[in-house]
Amino acid sequence: MKRRWIAGAIGVLAVALSACAPGGGASGQGGEAQGDKAGGDKVTLSLWSWRVEDVRAYEKILAKFEESHPKIHVEFKPFQATEYNNILATGLSGTAGPDVAQLRAYGGLQPLVEAGQLVPLDGKVEALSGFDAKLLEGAKGHKDGKIYGVPFAYQTLQVLYNKKLFGDNGVQPPATWDDMIAAAGKLKAAGITPFAVAAGPDATWTLPIVHEIFGNARYGSTKFRDALLSGEKKFTDPDFTASIKLLKDLEPYFPKDVVAVKIPDVQALFATGKAAMYPTGSFDLAPVLAANPSLEVGAFQVPPPPGSPVTTPVTPGWADGSFGVNAKSAHQAEALELVKWMATPEFGQLYASELKQLSAVPGVTPSDPLLAEMAKNYAANGAPYTLLVDFRYGQPNGDAVFRDEVQKMLVGQTDAKAVAESVQKGVEQWFKPGN
Amino acid sequence: MLAVFLLPALLLYSVFIVYPLVTALDYSFFEWRGIRQTGFAGLGNYRDLFGVYPYDRQLWRAFGHNALFFAGTMLIQNTVGLLFALLLYRYGRGKRFLQAAFTTPYLVDPLVVGYLWSLLLNPTFGPVNSLLEAAGLDSWALPWLGDTRTALPIVIVVNAWQWVGFPMLLFSAALAGIPAEYHEAARVDGASAWQAFRRVTLPLLTPAIGVVSVLTFIGNFNAFGLVYAMAGSTGSPAGSTDVLGLLFYRVAFVEGGTEAIGRSSALAVLMFVFIFGVSLLASSYFRRRERRLL
Repeated sequence: MKRRWIAGAIGVLAVALSACAPGGGASGQGGEAQGDKAGGDKVTLSLWSWRVEDVRAYEKILAKFEESHPKIHVEFKPFQATEYNNILATGLSGTAGPDVAQLRAYGGLQPLVEAGQLVPLDGKVEALSGFDAKLLEGAKGHKDGKIYGVPFAYQTLQVLYNKKLFGDNGVQPPATWDDMIAAAGKLKAAGITPFAVAAGPDATWTLPIVHEIFGNARYGSTKFRDALLSGEKKFTDPDFTASIKLLKDLEPYFPKDVVAVKIPDVQALFATGKAAMYPTGSFDLAPVLAANPSLEVGAFQVPPPPGSPVTTPVTPGWADGSFGVNAKSAHQAEALELVKWMATPEFGQLYASELKQLSAVPGVTPSDPLLAEMAKNYAANGAPYTLLVDFRYGQPNGDAVFRDEVQKMLVGQTDAKAVAESVQKGVEQWFKPGN
Repeated sequence: MLAVFLLPALLLYSVFIVYPLVTALDYSFFEWRGIRQTGFAGLGNYRDLFGVYPYDRQLWRAFGHNALFFAGTMLIQNTVGLLFALLLYRYGRGKRFLQAAFTTPYLVDPLVVGYLWSLLLNPTFGPVNSLLEAAGLDSWALPWLGDTRTALPIVIVVNAWQWVGFPMLLFSAALAGIPAEYHEAARVDGASAWQAFRRVTLPLLTPAIGVVSVLTFIGNFNAFGLVYAMAGSTGSPAGSTDVLGLLFYRVAFVEGGTEAIGRSSALAVLMFVFIFGVSLLASSYFRRRERRLL
């Protein structure tokens, strides 16, 4: 028995040592070797992503790229989204990393930029100059201002609504804030949850999103954001505090015990017609329709609440991420070819139709009419989701503090003023206005 | 010759235990920008944990919850485990079956257990509240995991549900090792059942109680999977279930700032030093108690 254990231990040790040995990145090198054999001097690029669920769509999309670039083969390698950041940071530091990688936006990109792991694309991908400036911010280094990726998608925030429930209850998409509250009251009286909002354990990250949807106009949208960045205003501003208070005021129209409600619960409530309105991002349209394909969904922008500095409805949004080139890639030229192609309308259109997402490539219109409407609203009334866009460059994140404190407000442990104070206190430890 | 046989184990131990620990210690003393070290930080990362808002508050809050988690587990899981062991010892029927039954939840990962219980306790679709309502106990149909007063106790109870078989097995083994003559002698001397338990059985269980306590302590201060599955990475609701493991996870992975590696390593080192230190102290305390028995 003992001898067998020792033999086993030596075996494990041998495996462990061989894994540690230099040149152990067998997968990447092996892949290239195979490529060489198969197609003469064909180059295999490895493309990393956090979208495990998109494998088929990407295979289709990349097949198009290979048609026009016969000397390049692209291998799509997805990882679990929750582990991706670490896998990528490690992958980029070694020799077995990707050639092209899907990159997080804004603060999520920063650690890779500061570690010098990505190739700046300024001047190398000409098409980037035509991209929306707001979306390009998500792919820029915070300090050097260089562009490190080709943005692939963006998300917009609005309220989805169930057309049939609205019709049955004689409710219209609201033109004013008061209309919206009246509609919510009417729906609630009819036994329907007016707003499908979750604030449970898995849903804290959606609280800043819900706040943006209802409160962006109330705190003053882009103008307030500029004032925050220049140091002219702080989160403790009365307008920002009032925008937080809206969530507490709306709580009676959220599901009962909202801090115990999870995201799948509200998706189910909305998809099964038990809730009439779903304040969420464009990313939720596909899952909702997958749960109930016959659901008739409309969307509206929230009318500005009373007292808002901004008097027209806004659609907050942000860049979802980008594709960048590994500074250590052995095939920089080919990798650059791929990201250049990802900035073309051909890729944008394929991406939009295969994945039902809003493509960041200029001039691409979504085939889905509802997504097209969201895209139109963003183009006309787009506003930055400032906690995500500007306040994720240090620890603690603005939105991390925000979501914890809002949850406390919803259970009655704190109020809107204290939430605003906490956010300000958290971010001012690293955020220096005016940079 | 002996050294040759020790070598593989020593190598394994070094590669998988010592090396990562030393690495964390090393990382915690440096400034980080992403995965690039930019300079020596001294105790800077440690100071950040105690000085940067909101970590300064979250650290103590999480520590307090771990302490409550430990106290609650000792009180519920380990006393119930002892009770089960005594009952099985006294009434031997179905012992094997019951032991197996009580230990089956071991086989399931805490993440899965947490997920299952959060489904059962779901206030919108969960069967627990539907049952309570069907039984006319509407006022009992609380949002168990959504109320700051009930969330942590529920997590403690579910954790006990999963692990109660562990103290039961250890206590069963210890009970089986107590010579029957001691009980007979106590009975002959006219001791009541309670007196026999309190004066004979319990003191002789000291070694088992020591092992169970120390292992419970280590497990509870490292708690992560179950709490994560039931309360998310923020220790929902409103941080009322936040524990050190979740705080580490947030600092290291969720917020993912450029300083993440330094600060999370510092927290890992603090947790290790505390758990290791207290375990050593507790072990030596119980060893002294045992020696007094002899």
